[in-house]
Amino acid sequence: MRAHEGTARRYAKALYELAHASKETEAVGRELEQVAAVYASDARTHEVLTRPWIKPEDRRAVAAAIAQKVGARKLVQDFLGLVADRGRADHLPEIITAYRLLVDAEHGRARAQVRTAVAFTDAEKQQLATRLERVLGKRIIVEEQVDSSLLGGFIAQVGSLILDGSLDGQLARMRQRLARG
Amino acid sequence: MIRVLAIAALLLGAVPSAALANEGGGGLISLDKSIVIQMINFGLLLFILIKLLYKPLLAKMEERTQAIRKSLEEAQAARAEAERERAEHAAKLQAAYTEAQAIRATALKEAGEEQRRLVEAARAEATRLVETARSELAQDVRRARQDLRQEVADLATTVAERLIRKSLRDEDHRRIVEDAIGRVDRVS
Repeated sequence: MRAHEGTARRYAKALYELAHASKETEAVGRELEQVAAVYASDARTHEVLTRPWIKPEDRRAVAAAIAQKVGARKLVQDFLGLVADRGRADHLPEIITAYRLLVDAEHGRARAQVRTAVAFTDAEKQQLATRLERVLGKRIIVEEQVDSSLLGGFIAQVGSLILDGSLDGQLARMRQRLARG
Repeated sequence: MIRVLAIAALLLGAVPSAALANEGGGGLISLDKSIVIQMINFGLLLFILIKLLYKPLLAKMEERTQAIRKSLEEAQAARAEAERERAEHAAKLQAAYTEAQAIRATALKEAGEEQRRLVEAARAEATRLVETARSELAQDVRRARQDLRQEVADLATTVAERLIRKSLRDEDHRRIVEDAIGRVDRVS
């Protein structure tokens, strides 16, 4: 996985530099995510793009065709074609994550991955973002994921910072205190 | 020899007396020429007796005396030898006894030392065993306490989790989220 991340960062950086040169980093990011959603939803497409015995030029053609179909710009089509050609289509989620980080850094913002027991209201989301912005000094984008295994509250992660506001965390701390005596 | 001659002289002295008695009126010995023959006979007889009986007898007696003396000397020598050997044996016995006493004393001393060493070793081993048992016991108690605390903690949190899950309503979720958001500031 670590090897994946290293490779993904190199691809993401290359794409980011090209997109930054043409001042279309945000749009490229959105289009990348759309294509990734297609990959994730269609198992056959994913299989074609990741199997090593399929010819590189065929993989490139399929990737470019899908990008074209979702209306991605030429840079995105070429990039996805290259990724498929090199047999790195299975790295796409990590590439997108790395690309997002680069774009977020460019715009002085960070993403908060929030796992919550029940879906946030817009007001709660906004409130959390505001609080985190105050703490971290940068704009925060809240990416929420409802996790029914959580008992209550939420766990937010921004980079290496983890905020545990869940009942599960409180119970775990209580368990530790009781176990320590 | 002297005694034989004395007896012969006594007999010769008695013969004239007896002859004189015969002259008076019919005695045993008549004092005439036959007395000389009788005396010669007697002398010859005495000589023969002395030669054939008395001397061998004396020689035999002397021989026996010598043999007895020799036996006595040998007996004395044997006795002296036996005495010497007895003394020697007694000395040896005394030496052996002394040596045995020394060995016994040494053995007793060594046995005492060994006993003391064994007792000390046994005492040290017993102390070590007690310490080990005490340490293991303390460790077991600690482990049991820790296990018990862990059990209690698990049980308490499991029960709490079930109760919370059962009783948590939407407004509770909202309040929990709001509280958690309110605590975000404390991170800084």
